[in-house]
Amino acid sequence: MIEVAALMIAPLFAGGLSLVVHRSALLHAINLMSMGTLVAAEIMITRTVLRDGPFTALDQLVYLDALSSFILFIIGAVGLACSFYMRSYMDEQVARGMIAPTRLNLFFSLFHMFLLAMVVATIANSVGVQWVAIEATTLATTFLIAFWRRRESLEAGWKYLILCSVGISLALFGVVLLYYSSLHVLSDVSQALNVTQLLPVADRLNPHVLKLAFIFILVGYGTKVGLVPMHSWLPDAYTEAPAPVVAMLAGVLEVVSVYAILRMRMIVDHAVPSGFTGGLLVLLGFSSLVTAALFILIQHNYKRLFAYSSIEHMGIAMIGFGVGGPLGTFGGLFHLLNHAFAKSMAFFAAGNIHRRYHTMEIGHVQGLAVAQPWTAMALMISGLALSALPPFASFASEVQVVTALASQGIPGMPFTSTGGMVSFALSDQFSRVGLATVFLLFAVLAFAGLIYRMTRMVWGTPPEGILREETWTLGHLPIILLAGALVVFSFFLPPPIRQLLEQATMLLVIQ
Amino acid sequence: MQVLSYSGSQLVDLCSALLLLTCFAIVAQRRLSACVDLFALQSAFLVMTAALVAYLTGNQHLYIAAALTGVIKVIIIPRVLKKVIDRLNVKRELVMYVNVPAGLLICGGLVMLAFFISQPIIPLGFLLTRDSLAIALAIVLIGFFTMIARQKAVTQLVGFLVLENGLFLGATAATYGMPLIVELGVFFDVLIATLIAGIYTNRLQDAFDSVDTNQLTVLKE
Repeated sequence: MIEVAALMIAPLFAGGLSLVVHRSALLHAINLMSMGTLVAAEIMITRTVLRDGPFTALDQLVYLDALSSFILFIIGAVGLACSFYMRSYMDEQVARGMIAPTRLNLFFSLFHMFLLAMVVATIANSVGVQWVAIEATTLATTFLIAFWRRRESLEAGWKYLILCSVGISLALFGVVLLYYSSLHVLSDVSQALNVTQLLPVADRLNPHVLKLAFIFILVGYGTKVGLVPMHSWLPDAYTEAPAPVVAMLAGVLEVVSVYAILRMRMIVDHAVPSGFTGGLLVLLGFSSLVTAALFILIQHNYKRLFAYSSIEHMGIAMIGFGVGGPLGTFGGLFHLLNHAFAKSMAFFAAGNIHRRYHTMEIGHVQGLAVAQPWTAMALMISGLALSALPPFASFASEVQVVTALASQGIPGMPFTSTGGMVSFALSDQFSRVGLATVFLLFAVLAFAGLIYRMTRMVWGTPPEGILREETWTLGHLPIILLAGALVVFSFFLPPPIRQLLEQATMLLVIQ
Repeated sequence: MQVLSYSGSQLVDLCSALLLLTCFAIVAQRRLSACVDLFALQSAFLVMTAALVAYLTGNQHLYIAAALTGVIKVIIIPRVLKKVIDRLNVKRELVMYVNVPAGLLICGGLVMLAFFISQPIIPLGFLLTRDSLAIALAIVLIGFFTMIARQKAVTQLVGFLVLENGLFLGATAATYGMPLIVELGVFFDVLIATLIAGIYTNRLQDAFDSVDTNQLTVLKE
C-alpha cells in the first residue's frame, strides 16, 4: 500500500519542505516532484482498482474505488498542469513585485496543504474524516485567495472563509445525523461512519434521518461547489485569487465537493427512493444553470464570466447526476472531467491576459490575437469547449445529460402530485420535453454570452503600449496538452479512463 | 437505576437549556467583549454537558472531547478574540440589521422551528439525551441567525462559534460523541478557522479602517 501512503506523504512533505526553502527554482522543483509522485501513485492505484476492484488500506482509514480513483485522476491532471503553469506565472509576479520573494514559500506551502486536504477528502473511508478534510481545504485556500492582500482580495477571502465555513458546518450536522442513524444498525461505534461499513447496511438505516442528513449535506457541500443559491462567494473568490489557485479551485475543488455529495447519495439512495435525492439535485442543478446563464450575459469582467460559467457547468453536471441512470450519471461524471480541463485552461489564459493588459475589464482587452497569439488560441479553445461545441468532449457530455433528461425526466417526481405549483404540467412527456427545452435554451444563452465576449477580446487591435509578442514559456505546455485532451476525448477515450468512468457509473447507479 | 437515569436525563436537559439560554444572552448583547465572555460561558456549559453524559454513560472518549472543548473553546479562543477586540477601534455593535427585541423574537421562533423539525427523529434517540438534539438544532439556527444579523466581523465569528457549539452538543446528545478521529479533526479545524479569522479581522481593520462587514462592497455585480 505504498502508493496510498505516497499520495498523502508527497504533498505533506513538500508542504513542510517549502516552508524552509527560499530559492524559487528549488520551490518549483519540489512542487513538480511532489506532483509527479502524486500522479505516479494515482496511476498505480487506478491499475489496482481496475484489476481488483475497490479496496481499503491503512487499517480501514482509506477506501478507494473507481469513483475516487476517477476524482484522483482529475486532481492529478489539473494539479500537474497548474504546477507547470506556476513556473512562469509566479516568477513573473515576483519579478514585478506583486509578491515579496520571502512570501513565495508560504504560497507553495499553502498550495501543498490544499492539495493534501483534497486528496484526503477523496480517499477517506470515514465520512467524518472527509468532512474534516473539506473544511481544511477552506482554511488552506482562504489565504491563497487573499494572497495579493488588496482590499478586494481581503474582501473575497473573508466572504469565502465565512460562507464556506458556515455551509460546511451544516454538512457536519448532516454527518452527525448519518452517524445517529447508523449507530442503531452498526455495532462497532468507532467505524460507524465508514463507507465500507455503511454501504452494506444502508437499506436498514432510518429513512427519515437520512433524508434530513442528505439535505444538510447537500446544502453544506453545495456551498463549496457553488450551487445557486449558495454561490455568492464564488465569483468574488475566482476574480481575486491568483490564476493557478483559481484553476485548482474551479477545476478540482468543485469536483471534490461534488464527489462528497455523490458519496453521501450512494448511501442515502439505498434507504430512500432515489427520486428524493435525484429531485433535489435536479432542482439545484436547474437553479444554477438558469441563474448562471443569465449572469453570464451581463458580465464585463472576464474572470467573473468564467466564474459564472463554472456555476453553469456544475449545474449541468448536477442535472446529469439527478436524472441518474447510466446515461445521465456517465454524462455527469464525464462533464466534470471536461469542465475541469476546459476551466483550468480558461483561467490559465485569463492569468496571461491579466499579466499583459493589467485589467479584468473585457472592454479594455482587445487584439489578443496580435498581442498574445498563444493565449488567444487557448482562450478561444477553452471558450468553445465551455460552450459545449463540437469537436470538444464537453459537447458529448452535455448531449448525454440532455438526452438522459429528455428520455427519463426527473426520477420519481410525478409533477402532478406536487400540488398546485406545477400542476399545469400536462403530462409526463410534456414535462420531460419542457425541461429539456429549458435546459437547451439556457445552455444556448450561456454559449452566446461567452462567445460574444471572447471574440471581442480576441479580435481587433491591441491598445497602445501593449507588447505585441508572446515568448514561449513552460506555462504554455499545459495549455496545449489540455486543449489536445479536450479534442481527443470527444473521439477517443483512453481505455483506462473509459473503464474508470464506466465502473464509477456502475457504482453510482443502484439496482 | 430507573431513578438515576431519570434524574440524569433531567440534568442533561438542564445543561442543554443553559446553553440555549446563553445563546439568547448573546443575541441581546451589544458589547463585543461581553459577547466573547458569554461564548466562553456557553462553552463551559458545553463542557459540563459533555462530562455529564460521559459520566452517565461511561463513554471514555467523551471526557477527552470535553477536556479539549475546555482548553480550546473556554480558554484559547476567547483569549484570541479578546486580543483582536483590543486592537479594534469599535467596542460596541452600533447599528444592527435587526434590533434586539426583534432578534430575540426571531430566535424564539427558531427554537420552535427546531423542535418541530426534529420531532419525527427524536424517538429514535437515547433516552438520556432525547431533548438535547432539538436544543442543539435550535442553537445551530440561532448561531446562523447571529451571523446574518450582525455586522462586525467579531460578532459574526462568535455566531459561527455558537453554531459550532450547537453542532458539538448535537453530536454529544444524539450519538454520545463522534468517533474520536473525527472529533479531533473538528476541533483542529475550528481552532485554525478562528485563528485565521482573527488574522483577517486585523487585516480588514488595516485595509478598510473598520471591521464592519457591510463595508465589504467593492465586489459587486
